[in-house]
Amino acid sequence: MFDLIIKNGLICDGTGTLPAMGAVAIQGGKIISVAREADSSPALGEAHKTVDAGGAVIAPGFIDPHTHFDAQLTWDGLAKPSIEHGVTTIIPGNCSLSLAPLKKEHREFLGATFRQIEEMPKSAFDAGLRWTWETFGEYADSIRPNLGIHVAPLVGHSLLRLWVLGLESRKRVSTPAEVRQLCDLLRESLDGGALGLSTSFSDIDHEFRPVPCRLGTMEELHALAAVLGERDRPLQVLPEFWDIDLLCTRIDLLADISLRHEIPVTFSPLFESASTPRLVERALERLELHAARGARLTAQMQTRPVDMTFDTSIPSAVFTAMPNWMGMLMQGPDATRKAFADKSMRAALVADSETDQMPIALSFQLGDTILSAATGAAIADVGRPLREIAAERGQHPAEVLMDISLDEDLSARFTAKGLGHFDEEKIAPHLDHPQIQIGSGDGGAHVARFATYGDTGHLFARYVRAHRALSLERAVQRLTADIADVWGLKGKGRIAPGLDADFVLFDPETIDRGPEELAFDLPDAGKSFRFIRQARGVHEVFVGGASVYSEAKGYSDARRGQIVEGGQVR
Amino acid sequence: MTGTVTGRQKADAPEPIRRFFMPEVSESWESLAERASTVAATSIDVGTLQSWNLHLSMRPPSIILTPTDIVFVDPPLPE
Repeated sequence: MFDLIIKNGLICDGTGTLPAMGAVAIQGGKIISVAREADSSPALGEAHKTVDAGGAVIAPGFIDPHTHFDAQLTWDGLAKPSIEHGVTTIIPGNCSLSLAPLKKEHREFLGATFRQIEEMPKSAFDAGLRWTWETFGEYADSIRPNLGIHVAPLVGHSLLRLWVLGLESRKRVSTPAEVRQLCDLLRESLDGGALGLSTSFSDIDHEFRPVPCRLGTMEELHALAAVLGERDRPLQVLPEFWDIDLLCTRIDLLADISLRHEIPVTFSPLFESASTPRLVERALERLELHAARGARLTAQMQTRPVDMTFDTSIPSAVFTAMPNWMGMLMQGPDATRKAFADKSMRAALVADSETDQMPIALSFQLGDTILSAATGAAIADVGRPLREIAAERGQHPAEVLMDISLDEDLSARFTAKGLGHFDEEKIAPHLDHPQIQIGSGDGGAHVARFATYGDTGHLFARYVRAHRALSLERAVQRLTADIADVWGLKGKGRIAPGLDADFVLFDPETIDRGPEELAFDLPDAGKSFRFIRQARGVHEVFVGGASVYSEAKGYSDARRGQIVEGGQVR
Repeated sequence: MTGTVTGRQKADAPEPIRRFFMPEVSESWESLAERASTVAATSIDVGTLQSWNLHLSMRPPSIILTPTDIVFVDPPLPE
């Protein structure tokens, strides 16, 4: 007697082979058998529960390889709403930042750094997070009991340095003895549940200083990579992703790490941008060269365009190339109100907004920005671009933004659409490239800037259905087995006997991401908000053989998520 | 470490697109220019080196030079 049979579904098993109608039988959280026939459930035998998929696709649970759910997992073991989009395994701890190992005296520093880089509201972070751990194993133990989604966490290089060198890690390189301690700490973290290591060559902390890992030498990184090589564990990297020459040079260095230590290395993000139109092409040429040499080096690419919503109460990345704006916003809301009301400062801000420079690989034009939320007189203009409103008022778009912001006490929100990665014709072939894996979604981060959920549905809606760039089965493979193989995720990514019973049942004709919407579900009783997208066309999601989400009933209480074992790189 | 000296690279490693080296923490531009001249085997002054490395020279002072930063000793490639 099986625990569960899911029958009458179109099985896309993650291997990329043609889908076939059939059924799967589950027991003890594992797939026991797979029958590919139209009405095959009787052949499998009896089950305590049978789910009729009604012809929907049965796919392995999707894997999201680039998330920052480290904090959210301490209060939400389902990583909502990612799981309702079919994601059953997430990889947090990217870009050198995990939440462990961490000594008590460094919690304030690390918290401020994490909130700055991942754009997490302080009120939510403080209200939700209960620091009960120091070691990585203790962190894993603290989240494990409440997990409804599988987690394959990375340990952050910055955390390792912070533990061994203390706050000196922000200022200096490590000694040979400290490198040995870093390696021992990495081994201990891997023993405690870390899948691999993450590092960064770009991030800056809350005081606009390089994060601790950036003070490590390449020799230090090679020493840590050698530890990863002992267990065939992955290295994730945030490179200088916005510049062709820097990125290609970094790719060479990463390929050297992969070859020398025989480990998979993956970097993120890589995205199309109007400001650097040949960047992806050149990076792929370099990646192909190194793949031919045997390097296991892949880039992660997101499926969604880069949109960003902002208000003027806090700094936003869209102002990165506008020093007057950035300087003002960094001084806080009072300084911003004062500047918006000051004639000479307004003129400087208008001039600033005309810059031809772009923030990191993004194409921001203030006039194209849309007023996305207002409560006062400007409510009638919601949905319109600033350029259009400005023309009516005889103003500059920057003046419109300032006036509406002042009227709304800096709470009016603006959305810059198509900042990058919006040319779907160019993006489509990349999503099927062997040196690219689909990722970089950033789930759990930038929560008040844009919704980092639903990239999976977007892949099917835009690149399977609209552009026909990938077949259904290939898209499923890209979100499952291809990622599991790169990261060495044991038991994940395929529907086959003996593997984990993680599934998503979806309608291939309707699966999509819903519109971006505000949610006040952070653990600070509504003091802050986040942007989310709900799933469309996802009927049911199973983790470890238990239903965790269904279109009809919403989220369940099932908590069968695990800390995923690594070391099974193909 | 430079783009041309990585002892264990395989023989078929591609040439770096631009030669480079990595700085010491907070190394001065004068020192970098000296080292760049050695790597490039030609004299490179501070202004030229800075113009080839805007990602470093245009950084705010708080973002110090780090030991994994890339200092190019060749001019930018045309796109």
